[in-house]
Amino acid sequence: MILVNQKHQVAWHKGITIRDVLKIMNYTYPHMAVRVNGTPVLDDQYDTYTIPDEADVRVIHLIAGG
Amino acid sequence: MKVLTFNPELCTGARDCEATCAQTWFKVTDVAKSSIRITPTDQGFNAEFCIQCGKCLDVCPVDALYQDKKGIVRVKKNLCVGCMSCVGFCPYGVMHFDTEEVVPFKCIACGQCVETCPNGALKIIETEEASTDLWNGLVGW
Amino acid sequence: MNEAKAKLHVLSEFTYTPSTVERGYTGQTLYVNVGDGTIKGKPVTEDMKEKFIGGRGFDLWLLWQGINDSTKWNDPENEIVIASGPCGGTTQYPGSGKSIAVSISPLTHVPIDSNAGGHYGPYLKFSGWDAIEVQGKAEKDVFVYVDGPAGIVQIIEAPEDSPTDTHMLGHWLNDHFAASEKDKQQMSFVTAGIGSDHSYIGCLNFSLYDRKRHDLRYKQAGRGGIGTVFRDKKIKALIVKSFPVKGDSNHPADMERIAATGADMQHEVATFDPVQNRMRSRGTSYLVQIMNDYDLLPVHNYKFGAHPDTPKINGDIWEAQYTQNMPDGCWYGCTVACAHAVDAYEVRTGPYKGQRVIVDGPEYETIAGCGSNCGIFEPWALLEINFYCDTYGIDTISFGTGMAFVMECYEAGILDKEKTGGLDLHFGKAEETLEVMHQLARGEGFGKIFGMGIRQMKQYFVEHFDADPQFVQDIGMEAKGLEYSEYLTKESLAQQGGYGLTNKGPQHDEAWLIFMDQVNNQLPTFEDKAEALHYFPMWRTWFGLCGFCKLPWNDVVDPKNSLSAEPAKIPHHVQNYVEIYSGVTGKEVTTDDLIDMSERVYNLQRVMNIRLGYGLRDHDAIPYRSAGPVTEEEYLSRQERYDDQIREWFDKDPETMTTQEKMALHREYREGRYEKLIDAVYKRRGWSPNGVPTVEKLQQLGIDYPDVVAIVKKYL
Repeated sequence: MILVNQKHQVAWHKGITIRDVLKIMNYTYPHMAVRVNGTPVLDDQYDTYTIPDEADVRVIHLIAGG
Repeated sequence: MKVLTFNPELCTGARDCEATCAQTWFKVTDVAKSSIRITPTDQGFNAEFCIQCGKCLDVCPVDALYQDKKGIVRVKKNLCVGCMSCVGFCPYGVMHFDTEEVVPFKCIACGQCVETCPNGALKIIETEEASTDLWNGLVGW
Repeated sequence: MNEAKAKLHVLSEFTYTPSTVERGYTGQTLYVNVGDGTIKGKPVTEDMKEKFIGGRGFDLWLLWQGINDSTKWNDPENEIVIASGPCGGTTQYPGSGKSIAVSISPLTHVPIDSNAGGHYGPYLKFSGWDAIEVQGKAEKDVFVYVDGPAGIVQIIEAPEDSPTDTHMLGHWLNDHFAASEKDKQQMSFVTAGIGSDHSYIGCLNFSLYDRKRHDLRYKQAGRGGIGTVFRDKKIKALIVKSFPVKGDSNHPADMERIAATGADMQHEVATFDPVQNRMRSRGTSYLVQIMNDYDLLPVHNYKFGAHPDTPKINGDIWEAQYTQNMPDGCWYGCTVACAHAVDAYEVRTGPYKGQRVIVDGPEYETIAGCGSNCGIFEPWALLEINFYCDTYGIDTISFGTGMAFVMECYEAGILDKEKTGGLDLHFGKAEETLEVMHQLARGEGFGKIFGMGIRQMKQYFVEHFDADPQFVQDIGMEAKGLEYSEYLTKESLAQQGGYGLTNKGPQHDEAWLIFMDQVNNQLPTFEDKAEALHYFPMWRTWFGLCGFCKLPWNDVVDPKNSLSAEPAKIPHHVQNYVEIYSGVTGKEVTTDDLIDMSERVYNLQRVMNIRLGYGLRDHDAIPYRSAGPVTEEEYLSRQERYDDQIREWFDKDPETMTTQEKMALHREYREGRYEKLIDAVYKRRGWSPNGVPTVEKLQQLGIDYPDVVAIVKKYL
């Protein structure tokens, strides 16, 4: 199980990437800062960075709104 | 259109071109005011200068940029508001900014540097296509 | 000299030698009384620069001195004050040309501040004035003309045949005041329209001459009815003619520092905007689909947060309609360029039917407010509404939110065809919405009632149409008398405060915390939320002190920001603003100093609200629709979420409860936690439990002027 933003549980499977989690959460906003167990992951790694089981994933959406 | 072209195989890094350009257009020795920039590489030297592609014309909010009859992109200083849109949006990083006059400057293929290059690594040519191949000795040599 | 101008009747004239701009300031503000014809310059003191910086700070300070404790919006002593700010008019950094207008609002009866792009504020400065302060009420329609190169200020009688509506008046003014294309580029107008004559939701249009289109464009200071004050004063236009703009018109202290920061930012925009929000091709319209995806888009008067028809009005639709590849910045050098336009739109209704016009926008707020919130998903209707709001001088946000309220009242049976004069105003009725707009502009029929704004409509519906006072109070999305802007806040307590705990009323330019709070879960405690409701309103206030737009701060961001300690604040952009501010003014500042600057102005504004009989805890109340589900329909639409919350928050089994019981439980809890939020925020801001800045706070900020202290002492 992966914990997203200390609130949402996402089922873990081997090879699950950041992109997969964003898709499951329907996180479509383009300005995000992602940290996995405290380590920042840049957006060019979203497709390749695999998340370990029990990971604490923070998807920080930057402020939106006019 | 008229453009400058560079042959890296002939360049020895004398950098007279930079000094000539700064002196010709700004009457200074500071090569930060040169529109041609030479940088050393593992193999020799690179040169970067405007290839006259004209992409900057679209981002200028006041029509201060235009291509003259020879296809050279030029700045109308009296219309320019110094906004640096062209500087930031030049895909090749060859639009520079003069903080004293607060206007951009660039290579206009005047050919002064061609005259002072001791190795004949620069020349002015006519070409159809704006391309960074002009920096690589692939056009006009 | 334009011959047509020579024929106009000058009522009052003042000649001056324009002060040159030094380090962002001219050191003079312009005072014009359209009632008695007084025109004069006032010096800007060092104390004023130190304490209030410029822009909204100058506006409020001048207004503070111009009014008395009982001034109403339509009293002659009410003022409209407009200023850019010390950095306004910088051309090297995106978004550095904003103007901020301040006046006592006909909707809230306290000062409203509203910002706009366009060229007026910077041009005013380049003509020798850091701000313009207009007071008095003219007998007949007038223009106020400032000509920097000629060194004259005139109050001119507006001929009876001159138009009032912005898109017509702009052309008329060009014909009468500009002698050449060059003149047109050096001029800017502030105008309203006949909708401002007949409603409390009037807006101001700030023009810019678009050199690529060879035509006028307009940006709106929409909020709070300043257009209404403008027309009440019988002003048709403020006109400025400036010296030509140069890259160093601000005469900054350190041009190289500004240019270096500007070059970095321009390059950032060029590199990252195409793969991020695509502001350069879609502007703020990109937000429509995003908000829908996160259940935050207001739908049917904020009942719901998403709608299946949203793709019909999302960013891709507008990208196809906006003319592309134009440098659509609302000030020179703004390559974020969100100020898009639809060219050659053929008007389908009303007095300008058949004309081909430029529609400035629509932007996110207009699309969400007049679109999804009203159940209108037809792009043509949104263009038509946008065009008429602008030319009539009506705020699109108040119009959209107001119409959403009316439509819900219609569906709830409070209104019917008899009461609306034959108009079917169910959600989604586009033609009828436009008819309300035209009636409003003419000051007739149901449109006239509508133009009073939600707060007064609620009262009217109770008194005349037997509406249930509690119901209209719950669903009428206004606070302090101002209509909400277009975000759903039910699941973000911090943003309920972001709207409710504002000085001017519920406008998101003070704080937008929904993602931090609801999505990122970064503000779990009341103290966390209070800290955010201190920092962000202060930070965002700062833009308006200096002449900046907020968008380049966070709508394009180098991905390296992810590596910073506080990505939500976008520290490298905050540092850019330190560089530009210091580069312009020559004053070395830190990021903390920027917050201090805002806090002084923000607290002065709070005290001003109190001075005018508002500004206390009671006035920070919000309608329940913004905090939770008002109707069963609303509850059932998100039943899973609300039922889960009953389990989580109250440890109760929702299966054993009726919907009404569950709604009551939610309401008690949600209203209670808003009160707790208020306590925490007031404490963080240095205010008493009644929302009054303490004397110590005023002393700490250096604004403990005797008349300011005297106001708060009455309530402490």
